Amino acid sequence: MQKEITFTLNGKVQHSTVNNNRRLVDFIRDDLKLTGTKEGCSVGECGACTVIVDKSAVCSCLLFAVQIDGLELVTVEGLEEAGGLSMLQQKFIEHGAVQCGFCTPGMLMSSYALLLKNPNPSVDDVKTALAGNLCRCTGYKQIISAVLDTK
Amino acid sequence: MIPNIEYFTPKTIAEALQLLSKQENVKIIAGGTDVITGFHQESSRFTKTGALIDINRIPELHQISETTGSVWIGAGCTFTQVVNSPVVQKEFPLLVQASSGVGSLQIRNRATIGGNFVNNAPQSADNSRTMPLQEFLIRPYCTQLAFNEIVTNITLAKLPGSYHGSYYKLGRRRGVAISRITVAALLNVVDDAIADIRFASGAATPIGMRFPEIEALAMNQKVSDDLLRKLAIQTGELVLERTGLRWSTAYKLPVLQQLCYQELFNAVYGKE
Repeated sequence: MQKEITFTLNGKVQHSTVNNNRRLVDFIRDDLKLTGTKEGCSVGECGACTVIVDKSAVCSCLLFAVQIDGLELVTVEGLEEAGGLSMLQQKFIEHGAVQCGFCTPGMLMSSYALLLKNPNPSVDDVKTALAGNLCRCTGYKQIISAVLDTK
Repeated sequence: MIPNIEYFTPKTIAEALQLLSKQENVKIIAGGTDVITGFHQESSRFTKTGALIDINRIPELHQISETTGSVWIGAGCTFTQVVNSPVVQKEFPLLVQASSGVGSLQIRNRATIGGNFVNNAPQSADNSRTMPLQEFLIRPYCTQLAFNEIVTNITLAKLPGSYHGSYYKLGRRRGVAISRITVAALLNVVDDAIADIRFASGAATPIGMRFPEIEALAMNQKVSDDLLRKLAIQTGELVLERTGLRWSTAYKLPVLQQLCYQELFNAVYGKE
């Protein structure tokens, strides 16, 4: 059982046919071949699969692909600016906020969603926005400073 | 592996109800934070499900509105919507506090208040009906909701007078943790006596519930440290009666009693 969906993918209109039981994360990685989005825990606890749907950060393991019909999807690939890294991504590198890199796409998307709504966040705002993203290497401090430095 | 399923996206409540009565083995999906993980983990609650009705495209389920005496929260409102709503912030600060502690921002952006009740995790049809929440919740994962019904809204009566409340959630970590114990107290103290009290817990009890026995003990009593201690100790004993002894009782009981005391104290003395 399938459905036709139309949505905006990183700024461009996209038509797709998806199985009703396809999770958004599988659709993004296996059908759209955008493997920047990672799957960690599969139950909405680790945040590695975070993407932005209609300007809000969500776990793509907790949506069906059919649910984004008519909506706007941004994945980490959509952060690219003029063929290169965005300011936010550059700040992650400068602040040493990337180690193994598995959590990084999710961290970037949660941070990006925060900065969309609040371009001048406090430390607490950043902590709240990133509370659903787990990192086991860098220890968060570098990530928080990278986001604060991207004002 | 998620079985292949039928997927419906009704635009009105009437359309959703019609689908519910026509289809067999159908479930409603709102935020999906329990439904999709349940499917993915092959939970027995979902193995027979053959179709999902997605209620996210029904506009009236996503509104928060206000009348003179009450606030109406559409069942499909996300916790983020509840947290950001000026009217809920003004009238029900405890609900805002509790909602902002649900999961992470990614979860709050999807998970709905109606879904939380319907799922009844220790967390209408031909006619519409309205009932108190405590009657609606039966036991873990079980509510009064019939197969052909939809929860459309939660109506909260505004509080008259000067109530003070306090809420605490204890999890394994400060943030993004499943509740182990939650306690909420709402009191109206007039001339040093308890004129009204609403006292409830979640997670420590099998489902969220108020404690009418404890509330009755407290009514019209002069506020004193001894009274608050007595109420807290008895609440702990009452919970123990309901849940029975568990391996965790030795740890949980004193913590629960201390939290009850703390929340009653904060509510009486108006501390956040």
